[in-house]
Amino acid sequence: MRKILTAAVTVALGLSLAACGADDTPSAAAGADATIGVGSLYEPQNLDNTGGGGQGVTEALNGNVYEGLFRLTDDGKTENLLATDYTVSGDGLTYTFKLRTGVTFHSGKALTAADAKYSLEKVIAPDSKSARKSSFGPVSGITAPDDSTLVVTLKTRSISFVYNLSYVWIVNSQNQSPTTTADGTGPYRFTEWKRGSTLSLARFDGYWGTRASNKEVVFHYFTDASALNNALLTNQIDIITSQQSPDALSQFTGNPEYKVNDGASTTKLLLAFNDRVAPFDNVKVRKAVYSAVDRKKLLESIWGTYGKLIGSMVPPKDPWFEDLAETNPYDVELAKRLLTEAGHGNGFSFTLDTPNYDPHPTVATFLKSELAKVGITVNINVITADEWYTKVFQKRDFTATLQEHVNDRDVVWYGNPDFYWGYRNPQVTQWVTQAEQATTADEQTSLLKQVNRQIAEDAASVWLYLYPQIVVASADLSGYPVNGLNSQFYVYGITKQEG
Amino acid sequence: MTRRRRSLVAGAVLVGLLGAVALLSLLWTPFAVSDTSGGRLAPPGGAHLLGTDRLGRDLATQLMVGARIALLTGLGAVAIGGTLGLAAGLAAGFAQRWLDDGIAATLDVVIAFPTLLLAMLVVAARGASLGSAVLALGLAMSAVVARLTRILVKRVLALDFVTAARTSGTSWPRVVAEHVLPNVWPTLVVNLALQFGLAVLAEASLSYLGLGPPPPNQSWGRMLQEAQSTVLTAPAGLVAPGLALVVLVVGANLVADGLREVADPLAGRAS
Repeated sequence: MRKILTAAVTVALGLSLAACGADDTPSAAAGADATIGVGSLYEPQNLDNTGGGGQGVTEALNGNVYEGLFRLTDDGKTENLLATDYTVSGDGLTYTFKLRTGVTFHSGKALTAADAKYSLEKVIAPDSKSARKSSFGPVSGITAPDDSTLVVTLKTRSISFVYNLSYVWIVNSQNQSPTTTADGTGPYRFTEWKRGSTLSLARFDGYWGTRASNKEVVFHYFTDASALNNALLTNQIDIITSQQSPDALSQFTGNPEYKVNDGASTTKLLLAFNDRVAPFDNVKVRKAVYSAVDRKKLLESIWGTYGKLIGSMVPPKDPWFEDLAETNPYDVELAKRLLTEAGHGNGFSFTLDTPNYDPHPTVATFLKSELAKVGITVNINVITADEWYTKVFQKRDFTATLQEHVNDRDVVWYGNPDFYWGYRNPQVTQWVTQAEQATTADEQTSLLKQVNRQIAEDAASVWLYLYPQIVVASADLSGYPVNGLNSQFYVYGITKQEG
Repeated sequence: MTRRRRSLVAGAVLVGLLGAVALLSLLWTPFAVSDTSGGRLAPPGGAHLLGTDRLGRDLATQLMVGARIALLTGLGAVAIGGTLGLAAGLAAGFAQRWLDDGIAATLDVVIAFPTLLLAMLVVAARGASLGSAVLALGLAMSAVVARLTRILVKRVLALDFVTAARTSGTSWPRVVAEHVLPNVWPTLVVNLALQFGLAVLAEASLSYLGLGPPPPNQSWGRMLQEAQSTVLTAPAGLVAPGLALVVLVVGANLVADGLREVADPLAGRAS
C-alpha cells in the first residue's frame, strides 16, 4: 500500500511538472556552450546587497556578476581579485590597494579607484542595510589618489579588514538603479530577472580573467522544497544549491544520475536567550537549559545522519574553531542540580519566540518536551520573520528565541553587549577588540579561541547544531562549490559533460 | 429510510466517531503527546499504529488530539458565527430602506473578503492561538449567516400569517419567537452544518500556514505541514491527517444534507 501510494504521488507530481516544465529544459549543449540551470529556494528581494537583497542576492551575484577587491574561496581563504597587491603601514592604520588594470564593467566603463571608493562608501553609508556594515566601524577615510590606487585609513587596527573587503562588491558608481539591474566586473553579465521565476546570467566575453566554463546560468527559484527536488528529477534544472530536507535525499542517493555532496556549512541553529532578563541573566540557568537538551537526538530528528553538533558559535571552517560540543554535556541530573543552585528547583516558565518556518516550530516542540523533564515550561509563541526582526532583533522584546545564523566568523558578535542577545562579559568584549587589533593572525586566532571557550563556558546561547550543506547535482556536472560559506555560490567553474 | 435520512445517519456516524475519539483523547492516548521516544519516522504498525513523526512522536496520538482541536474549532466558530449572524440577520430583516441597504452592503463587503485573509488579519492582531483562529473563523462565518438570515426573515415577514398575527395585536417579540424563528431555523441549521465543515477546513489551512494554534497543539493542518518534507519516506504522516479531515468534512456535509430533509417543514408535503 505504501509503495503504491508513493509511486502514485511521484508519478502525479512528475507528470504535472513535466507538462509545465517542458519548455524550460536546459539545452542539450554541453561544454563551453552549456546552459546551467541552478535551483534555489532563495530568490533575491532586490539586486543590491547593501539594500536588503537577502541571501539570494549573494548566492546569485557574488563572484559571478560582482567582484570584490578580494575573494573568499569555497575553503574560506581570502585571495586577491580586483586588487593585485596591497601594503599596510607600520602602524596598521593605512591600507594602500593596487587595483587590477584593464578591467571593465559589463556596461563598458573602465574600472577606476573612484568606483572602489564609491562601493565601500555605499556599504558603510547610514542607509546601508549591509550585514557587514558594522565590521567597517574602524574606517575613517577613503581616498583614490589615482585611477588604480585606493587608500583607506583606519581609526584602529583591524586585522579582518582585508577579509571584510571580500564582502564589498565593486559596483559601477554610475549605475542609478542597483536594485533592479546589475553592472559588475565579474565573469557573467546580468541579463534578465523574471520575478518569482528565474534570474539569468550570460558569460561576459570582455572578462579580465579566466572566462567562465559555461555559456549561461539560469537560477530557477522555488518556494517549495518538493517542487525544487522535482525540478531536478525532471531535468528542468541541473543542480540544487542547498537541500533543506534529508528525507527528500532518498530520491537522489543511490541513483547514478545524481551526486549528493555533503559539504561544510557555516549555518548554526541557536536557542538565543535574552541574557539581560531573568531568569537567563543567570549563567547557571542558561547552562541548565543547555544540559537539559538532547541535541544529538534533535539533530538526528531534523537532519537524519547529516549535520554536526557544535558547542559554541564557531563553525569548523573558521580559523579559531575548537570542538567544544561537550562543554555543556547532555546531562539531565546536572541540569536539575544547576537549577536548584540557581533557586529554580521548582522550575519556571518562559516564552520562546519561534519563527514560523521550518525547522523552528518542530525544534520548539522538541525543546518544550525536553525542558519539561527538568520542570521548565516553554510557551511557544509563533512569529513571522518580519516580527522577529522588529520584536526580537530591534526592540529586544523577548526572553528567548530560535534563529539560524548563516555567517562565518560571526563569534565576534558576542563582544558587542548591545547585540540582540545582550551577552555582556567585559572580558570577552576586550578579547574581541584585542583580536581585531592584533598584529598577527596567530594572535587573533588565539584570542578568539579564548572568546570561543568563554562564551561556551557562560552558555551565552545554546548552539543546537551546525546545519549540513547539501548540494545535489546531475552526475554529468562538475566544478561547482560544495561548501556553503555565507550562501555564496560561484558558478563560473561549472561544466556539463558531453553526452 | 429515505436517501436523505441515510445520509444523515452516515454523517452522524462519521462525525460521532471523531467526536468519540476526541473525547477518548481527554482520558487516554496511546502515548503522551510530548513523548519523543518512538524513533525518527517509525513506520506504521507495532506499538505505533500510524508510525511516528520526525521527532519520534506517535502519530495516532497526535491525530486523536488533533480531532479535539478540529471539533472545538468547528463548534466554536459555529457558536460565534451562528449567534452573531442570527442577531445581525434578524436586525437587518426588520430594517427598512437605507438602514437595510447599508447592512446588506456591509455584509457583502465582509463576505467578499476571503475567509483565510480575514482570519490572517485577526491572527496578526491577536497573535496565533486556538482562540484567535476560532474567533476569526466565527466572525467570517457570521457575515454569511447574517445574509442568509436576513433574506429568510424578509421572506417570512412578507407572508400573510405574519400580517394576520400583527393585525390581531401580537407583539413583535412574539412574532419573532412564534412565527419568524421556527420558519427560519431549518434552513439555518442546514447552513450551519455546512459552515462547520468549512471552518474545520479553514482552521487546517491556517495551521498549515503556521497561523493556527501554536505547537505543540497538534492540529491536523500542522501535521500536514510537518509531514510535507517527509512525504516520500513516511507517507503515513500526510495520509492520516488528510483522511481524518476528509472524514470530518464529508461527515458534516452528509449531516447538512440529511438535515435539509428532516428539518424542512415543506419537504414532507412535497414528497
